[in-house]
Amino acid sequence: MTARSSRHPRTRQLRRWAAPAGALTLACGILAGCSGDGSGTPELVWYTNPDAGGQAAVAEACSTDDYTITTQVLPQDAGQQRIQLARRLAAGDTGIDLMSLDPPYTAEFADAGYLADIPDDLQQKFSEQGFESAVQSATWEDELVVAPFWSNVQVLWYRKAFVEKAGLDMSQPVTWEQIITAASENDGKIGVQANKYEGYSVWVNALISGAGGQIATGTDAGAEAEITIDSDAGRAAADVIETLADSEAAPDDLSVSNEGTAGATFGSDAGAFLVNWTYIWGNYGDDQLGGDIGFARYPQTVEGEESRPPYGGIGIGVSSSSEHQDLAVGALECLTSPENQALNAELTGNMPSSEAGYAQPAVQELFPAELIALFQESLESAAPRTPSPYWSDISGAIQSIWHPPSSVDEDTPGESSDFIGEVLQGRSLL
Amino acid sequence: MKNKTSIGTWIGFVLIMIWCLLPVVWIISLSFKPVEETAAGSPQFLPKDATLQNYKDILANDDFTRALLNSFGIAMISTVLAVIFATLAAYAIARLEFRGKRFVLSLALAIAMFPVVSLVGPLFDMWRTFGLFNTWPGLIIPYMSFTLPLAIWTLSAFFREIPWEMEQAAQVDGATSWQAFRKVIVPLAAPGVFTAAILTFFFAWNEFVLAISLTSTTASRTVPAQLSYFVGPDPFNPPYGQLATASVVVTVPIIIIVLLFQRKIVAGLTSGAVKG
Amino acid sequence: MSTVVATPGAKDTKKKSGAGAMTDRSRSEDRLGMKLVAPAVVLMLLVTAWPMLQALYLSMFRYRLTAPDDREFIWFSNYATVLSDGLFWQDMFNTVLIMVVTVAVELVIGFAFAMVMHKVIFARGVIRTSILIPYGIITVVSAFAWQFAFSLNNGFVNSWLPFVEDNFNWFGGHWSAMFAIMVSEIWKTTPFMALLLLAGLSQVSEDMIEAAQVDGATWWQRLWKVILPNMRAAIMVAVLFRALDAYRIFDNIFVMTRGAQETESVSFLTYRQVIEQVQLGLGSALSVLLFLSVLLLAYLIVKLFNVDLAAARGEG
Repeated sequence: MTARSSRHPRTRQLRRWAAPAGALTLACGILAGCSGDGSGTPELVWYTNPDAGGQAAVAEACSTDDYTITTQVLPQDAGQQRIQLARRLAAGDTGIDLMSLDPPYTAEFADAGYLADIPDDLQQKFSEQGFESAVQSATWEDELVVAPFWSNVQVLWYRKAFVEKAGLDMSQPVTWEQIITAASENDGKIGVQANKYEGYSVWVNALISGAGGQIATGTDAGAEAEITIDSDAGRAAADVIETLADSEAAPDDLSVSNEGTAGATFGSDAGAFLVNWTYIWGNYGDDQLGGDIGFARYPQTVEGEESRPPYGGIGIGVSSSSEHQDLAVGALECLTSPENQALNAELTGNMPSSEAGYAQPAVQELFPAELIALFQESLESAAPRTPSPYWSDISGAIQSIWHPPSSVDEDTPGESSDFIGEVLQGRSLL
Repeated sequence: MKNKTSIGTWIGFVLIMIWCLLPVVWIISLSFKPVEETAAGSPQFLPKDATLQNYKDILANDDFTRALLNSFGIAMISTVLAVIFATLAAYAIARLEFRGKRFVLSLALAIAMFPVVSLVGPLFDMWRTFGLFNTWPGLIIPYMSFTLPLAIWTLSAFFREIPWEMEQAAQVDGATSWQAFRKVIVPLAAPGVFTAAILTFFFAWNEFVLAISLTSTTASRTVPAQLSYFVGPDPFNPPYGQLATASVVVTVPIIIIVLLFQRKIVAGLTSGAVKG
Repeated sequence: MSTVVATPGAKDTKKKSGAGAMTDRSRSEDRLGMKLVAPAVVLMLLVTAWPMLQALYLSMFRYRLTAPDDREFIWFSNYATVLSDGLFWQDMFNTVLIMVVTVAVELVIGFAFAMVMHKVIFARGVIRTSILIPYGIITVVSAFAWQFAFSLNNGFVNSWLPFVEDNFNWFGGHWSAMFAIMVSEIWKTTPFMALLLLAGLSQVSEDMIEAAQVDGATWWQRLWKVILPNMRAAIMVAVLFRALDAYRIFDNIFVMTRGAQETESVSFLTYRQVIEQVQLGLGSALSVLLFLSVLLLAYLIVKLFNVDLAAARGEG
């Protein structure tokens, strides 16, 4: 907190102007160095996505006699987080030591050399500790580039009374087609994320993965990656979206729906089904809509083929421009320890990225035991978005062609495949 | 001209008031809606269950109060500096014949219509190099540049109204151009300067694109940018009630300024642009 | 009329100079003039000219910030890419459409407001204060207010409008989303238009209007034959200012739709390329094109409508 005490802008500006010009000025740039020049323990600045205080608590828990970890928040929107970090990292900003990274941008940052190497022993420790999906999304070119911190996964939420009325057996895996039919025949709505934003790509990716496909392969080749969205799996995904968009089960705000609005739809009288992240359980107060909320595995795209729920979460990376790289890399171990994953989960509802984290008593109390088991099972088979340094382009291109959902048809995968290719080659604007 | 107010004018008056104030009342109403109400969807105009909680939350939010301070500081400093520079330039334009006058005027015009978005990338790189990224001066300098045209414009119009005989009289009495400017004109021009200052302040208070692109921490982030940093119980959506509350809070200074200085602002807005 | 405190008598006091040879005095005046404008000019150039030159340079590269090794000089290909891209032209069309519609609507409503304000003889302070609030309010805040108003879950618009279903999703279709964006833009900027027009209106001589009335001209005829022609300068300047401003629309779109439903403007496209996609090459090309198109637009308005800016600002 030493840095915060010197927040007075005037003072800081004066100091800045007085400091030796150029790089040094930059170095002490933000809040870090200026206040504590030469004296005291080094400060590690951790840029976090905004949350209810979980990461700040973990930072405090992991501050030692050798260093203090302070947090700075990034914007609420994941895209904005990426932009802000990327610009500063590209400019070699030394004011960032640690950062919370969303999975889809991890490969991009690693490929651009923004992330410091994690020593092999730590890589191995984190890999053994984390869920497979968490490790997969934290890996680029066979190296673990960020330490998985917390993991998010989507499950299918349903209204118990509704499925009873519709006569759907939720103890068996259900398909998208089944829930769309059940909902439209009984005046229910299905909450999904289909605004023109990253969440829509998450849905598309999960649908394609659930049909055994992938959006792209060979992404190590960067812009030369092979785009495989134009496949049977792609068409199966398009079919689900088309069916939902054309059905009575589509909510009125389908084309602008996100996690929050879908949650509101689910909570309304017409709510029937919802695919959403773990946090939504706590969204309906103590009453839980009168105990009417049920949960099941994410729906199957193709009947009989195991679903691949969407994966999200946060990994912590160390900036390669950090002046305290060794300390920061060392801090990763504490920051992502099962105990601290549990502490974070307790404060924010953001679930651990490891079995050991789930095993903590505090976590076990957060949700009913069956729900915890479902989360864990889902995480084991969750489908991360294809790691690629060009994911933001790929995702943007998908959103551009697949949005609005009502425009999706069997030709959509082919169109998006061509468009992604053109965008990656710089021949088309996105 | 008729001195009676016709019924049409009355209707027009009422319509204008509704037009101007309805959205403001709406955002105020939103700011009193509790989080649960907006999360579940509340399409009615007034809150069902009004609460002050949003205001308490906002004012207890250090990052927000800090952003308010940044906004104030940055807008104030930009205003003062821009007005000083603009006063000098406007005086020269209104009163002096010099080479390059047309250039200055064209430049001011070009900058008045400059698309700010196209500057963001290059400015980011420049500010990194100079160490101005995420600092107050990093925002103050571009704000000054973009408000200078309007300020020069407004001020030079004001300066033309000043009875210049007085300046000439002072010069006859042996004062130099500079002394004449300082001793005679500055006091006379003060009201115009004041108007230009208010308009400049509005711009700096309002600016968004540069504010989100050239700041990264609470060290310099202003309120319009801070609005995208709010987080509520739903991690994927901003808390609408708090957003509305923050909006109300940042609008209060505007309303105060408008209440106090409406006459001057109107004069300033119109004098620069229209000249019969 | 208080709105024109600054203008009466301007012509009389304006000194006509520039005639005659360069005397010592005019030389010192010359130097002083340059010194006085220097700080402002330097500042304006620092923030605009240099970055613009840099953009010009970068626009000739294939250059992505996160892949610096792939940087490659490609002459004007980026311009070719942009200019041959459907998205650019669609966004250009959106931008021009927003500009034309909002300015036209603002002109009509603004003129009506100006007429009312001109006639109102009571509560002038109240009306002036009210009309300045939309002008002074932060654009982002105005965009939020309207976004909430039109929102399906949290907005009152659907329940208030008689011909709209309660479950109508304004941001779900291209035209309705464009409509919402335009409403927000129009709400915020009409006051500015109204004030400029009010200033123009108060310059129209009452004698001429009365003379026309005596001659038996109807209200409509007086408006078109006397009032409007005499306000031409004011109208044109207002249109110029507002058009250039509307052409750069960004904040509203950023907040309300993020460009979804094909509501993107050229400014927003540029922002996305440069900032979101860190495509410095392509984005710089767009920046340059955006700037050139603004210049072209200004030129067209000034030429086509014959706006005499110098006269408008009393340059003589």
